[in-house]
Amino acid sequence: MNILVGISKTPETTAKIEFSEDGKSFKSEGVNYIMNPYDEWYALVRAIELKEVHGGEVTVINVGTISNETVIRKALAIGADKAVRINKETSSSWDTASQIAAYAKEHSYDIILIGKETIDYNGGEVGGMLAEHLGVSFISFASKLEFDGSVFTVEKDIEGGVEVVELNGPFVLSAAKGLAEQRIPNMRGIMMAKRKPLEVIEPISDEGFVTISQFTKPAEKVGIKMVDPDQMDELVRMLSEESKVI
Amino acid sequence: MPSNYIALNTLKFILNQVHGLADVLKLDYYSDHDMESMNLFLDAVKDFSDREMAPYFKEMDEQPAHFEEGKIKVHPQVGVIMKKGGAMGLISGIFDYEDGGMQIPMMVHTANTYIQDCANNHMTGYMGLTLGAAELIIHFGDAALKAAYVPKMLTGDWAGTMCLTEPEAGSSLSDLTTKAIPTEQDYYLLKGQKIFISGGDHEYISNFVHLVLARIEGAPAGTKGISLFVVPKNRINEHKGLEPNDVNTAGDFQKMGQRGYCTSHLMFGENNDCRGWLVGEPHRGLKYMFLMMNGARIAVGRGAAAIVMAAYHASLEYAQERVQGRKIGKLGKKKVDSLPTTIINHADVRRMLLLQKVVAEGSLSLLILASKYKDLSLHAKTPEEKEKYHLLLEILTPIVKSYPSEMGNIAVSNGLQVLGGYGFTSEYILQQYYRDIRIFSIYEGTTGIQSLDLLGRKATMQGGRAIQLLIEEIKQSCSEATKFSDLTPYTSMLESELESFKEVLVVLYKLTEQGKFELFTADANHFLELLSLIIIAWMWLEMANESMQAIQKDEEPHKEAFYQSKIHAMKFYFNYELPKTLGHAKILKNVSGLTIDLDREIFV
Repeated sequence: MNILVGISKTPETTAKIEFSEDGKSFKSEGVNYIMNPYDEWYALVRAIELKEVHGGEVTVINVGTISNETVIRKALAIGADKAVRINKETSSSWDTASQIAAYAKEHSYDIILIGKETIDYNGGEVGGMLAEHLGVSFISFASKLEFDGSVFTVEKDIEGGVEVVELNGPFVLSAAKGLAEQRIPNMRGIMMAKRKPLEVIEPISDEGFVTISQFTKPAEKVGIKMVDPDQMDELVRMLSEESKVI
Repeated sequence: MPSNYIALNTLKFILNQVHGLADVLKLDYYSDHDMESMNLFLDAVKDFSDREMAPYFKEMDEQPAHFEEGKIKVHPQVGVIMKKGGAMGLISGIFDYEDGGMQIPMMVHTANTYIQDCANNHMTGYMGLTLGAAELIIHFGDAALKAAYVPKMLTGDWAGTMCLTEPEAGSSLSDLTTKAIPTEQDYYLLKGQKIFISGGDHEYISNFVHLVLARIEGAPAGTKGISLFVVPKNRINEHKGLEPNDVNTAGDFQKMGQRGYCTSHLMFGENNDCRGWLVGEPHRGLKYMFLMMNGARIAVGRGAAAIVMAAYHASLEYAQERVQGRKIGKLGKKKVDSLPTTIINHADVRRMLLLQKVVAEGSLSLLILASKYKDLSLHAKTPEEKEKYHLLLEILTPIVKSYPSEMGNIAVSNGLQVLGGYGFTSEYILQQYYRDIRIFSIYEGTTGIQSLDLLGRKATMQGGRAIQLLIEEIKQSCSEATKFSDLTPYTSMLESELESFKEVLVVLYKLTEQGKFELFTADANHFLELLSLIIIAWMWLEMANESMQAIQKDEEPHKEAFYQSKIHAMKFYFNYELPKTLGHAKILKNVSGLTIDLDREIFV
């Protein structure tokens, strides 16, 4: 079974996000990056598990610059067989999906897995766009994926229950919690990763549909004001006039 | 548990920028590795520690290892860690490829185990002792011993221990009495008992490989008659299966700290059927054991340094959240109607936090430097370089072991103090760190033993060559740092400390010339503290120098605030800690002799 897994690089969860003066980009100084957990823990690991049972090959694909190769190496250390990096700073979900689709069309994959969203932009858009580009089915938020040798069975959590879908490949699936269990790369895997192929290809020209006009941070929390228990009138006034909650 | 137990960015700063891991990776022996793979490995260890170690830290204290129905019960996660840690390469990593290892530098090994220690100091000894025991067999055992034991130890299927102490022989190993009786077979019959055996027995490992010091019947008295044996709990029979080897657990020791790390009392040969296989040559056991012991001493310093780091983060987190008291206003009075502030804004709380920070990060820097010296002593390009770094490692080892342990006790005590009364309650983790760290100044040679080793042996070896090399290294750092005018006051202070230290050496060496050997080492503890203070100042100067360079070059990966915090901590250390050298130097120069030749009645 040949599986393509889309992986992204995101700031680590504890990173403090700052934006540039014009508010149109995000400052990367001092920020540590990780592989997007939904891509790594669920999509990639489930792909490797399926390969281990059914044979085949797992290819990871990333759209990004050379600085992304650290997370690509990690994917190879965890167990992917080879990697492709499309050499472009992606500008939007559409851009990412277009680039991956162009590569996937040239190759034959039984299934394509990707995290349900990245933890920085939380768009959750790439999977659907990718499926549309390729003209294949898309299953979102999958928490279970099985293959009996001919048919795939997918489970996804829905409001009040679980939806079970049976289908044949190829399809695109976005991975949610439960699909697999995180694998931590071992030292031998890390050493082997250096010897696995990492192909760098140039991007297709793509007409972008999205421009970023402004990033803003949520308003800072206002400091706590202490009100004496004897001053209930003052408390009511503050809640009404300052906080405007009553 | 606090949400954060380590500053990984500080660890990488010290490893990569201050002590230049990249330089070590250029050596032929490490040529299969690069910075990217080493950083990836450390990130993986952090993930492993987050998931498999930190969540069990408090639990292991609250449900301590204990002896029950003839067996030692430990937390089930110990078994998980041995298997998963073995599979990750955490036991095998530093060994040669031909021995099943991956030839990772000691610098990276120290960094990786330090992360684990920060996450859960009750857990790391199980893997660490297995690594140490395997190292002894690899270095000194014959091919048959290696093939029989090492592979399963490196995967974590079997565990290793070191068995030195006996009920009447602790620091004085020359008095040990465990016997090894020769047989006509390839093994000896062992008889005796060993106490304080860390990780000595439990139900989650199928075999324990004990490295036992014993005296072959008829061997000379003293340390020269001691040999080293591999004594498995279960020996390998002719069918390649396991059968009991007459090694029994008599009990355990309940402790004030590290309660999840079992400490056993083992009986060898109660039924005259305990077989042991000689490692290397007869009567050279103590020499062999010291290979493991030197590594173990660095590991003890690492464990203590890690506890200080974790405790610092726990108290820092509390200080940033706890609201109490008000800042002093411009007129020197508190405004009672102003809003209370978080306690991190009070000067005395900041003093306690900064003390922890300088001890934690200064110790870490020293550990990584010592590990670099270990790498260079083994794999530097020329024999002269190897010898130089070997001597530097020798002189640093007692300090690497003792400074984090002794100052760690004080630093963690300050961490607990930050929490006030809450620090004393079991609701908060500081009390556990406070209890855990106490053993580290006792493990693997007490501070007293380390002091004697430093002054009595290391400071005089090769006519004081090691000390001379150390002073040259420090002077070199001072010289490099003077290119930044902001640092020159501190380089001057450190150079002045070196001059004062040399004066102390003159006084002490004169005592040996006069044959006053007991007087020479009587205040060895103050000598160790004096040199430790100077060495940690050196570490902080190195960190400040690197930070200044990074700011000047506008260098990533850290923000300027990160580098400024290092410079500020250096200033704190030089102003608050380094002046303590004065008292030690005065005591050493006075040579009062008040602790020797005493009439016992003085303690009445």
